[in-house]
Amino acid sequence: MPRWLRIVVIGRNPKITLVRGVILAVLCVVGFKLTLLHIRVEGISMLPTYKDGSKHFVNRIAYIWHEPRRGDVVGIRLAGVHLMYLKRIIGLPGETVAFANGRVLINGQVLDEPYKEPDCVWNLPPEKLGPDEYFVVGDNRDMPWPDHTFGKVERKRIVGKVVL
Amino acid sequence: MKIVFRFILLAALVALGVWLWFVLFPSPERIIRQRLAELARAASFSSGESDLARLAAAQSLAGFFATNVDVDLDVPGRGQISLAGRDEIRQAVLGIGSRLSGLKIQFPDINITVAPDKQSAAADLTVEANAGGEADFIVQEMKFTFQQTGGEWLIVRIETVRTLSSVTLRFALRRAAFIVSP
Repeated sequence: MPRWLRIVVIGRNPKITLVRGVILAVLCVVGFKLTLLHIRVEGISMLPTYKDGSKHFVNRIAYIWHEPRRGDVVGIRLAGVHLMYLKRIIGLPGETVAFANGRVLINGQVLDEPYKEPDCVWNLPPEKLGPDEYFVVGDNRDMPWPDHTFGKVERKRIVGKVVL
Repeated sequence: MKIVFRFILLAALVALGVWLWFVLFPSPERIIRQRLAELARAASFSSGESDLARLAAAQSLAGFFATNVDVDLDVPGRGQISLAGRDEIRQAVLGIGSRLSGLKIQFPDINITVAPDKQSAAADLTVEANAGGEADFIVQEMKFTFQQTGGEWLIVRIETVRTLSSVTLRFALRRAAFIVSP
């Protein structure tokens, strides 16, 4: 290997290059582990957006600079993060959420939801959200509402936003 | 070189000492985690087990609970279920065993808070139950309260935790989308 190529590939001092490489690799692994959670979807309540068995990431630092927004798909922890709910935020703190003939009403106004299937007939009375509560629900509203897990969730249970 | 060798030997001895300390004098949290792992194993059973084996398993399972244990659960389609005392738990376990061909219980997440007096503790945990090898599984967050009785950590109370509070408080079947960190 010519000298110039060796300098480009492994640097002038191979030991220092090796140390640099190891430090960079450790930083990458730690950073990746701290910020992104690798997840696998189990179940059908987020169809058609997220299919059963599909793999994604949860960005744990998505809500450092701003609070969760309507339409975000988030991971909601139970006792920990090994098993979480995957839901979409439709109601923000202080709002009133209701279902009328399958349409979501936020403070009495119809919410536009392009992500869900149109065949929904849910009717549920209005629920007022507290100052630290979000209303989350899956995209698959074809299924009967008693079989669907949804409702109010505290902010502290939202782990992060689902990405990729 | 001799100094390096001595240093490595000293570090190894310190590590061994620390490990032995934790093995011989485990913290309450460690003991409770072990108890929960044993509980999950005892509550799980496979198809083909004899009635005698199930009876023995129910008996061993009852040993994890205090005599005055109080269980308060929200069960889908059946509303609130309350059990009081070991005998009722034993009967319930036998009933479940006769209805299901198999059951696998796991606690993928456990958070333990030990009281300052180290006589009681609360475990907030996720229960994952798979019945008879089916694809569907039940997931529920629960709170187990432990109390140290006669040197043993026994469960004195079990209650369901509302992760999502809504008009539909139900056990989430597989139809709900879960995400699992592999």
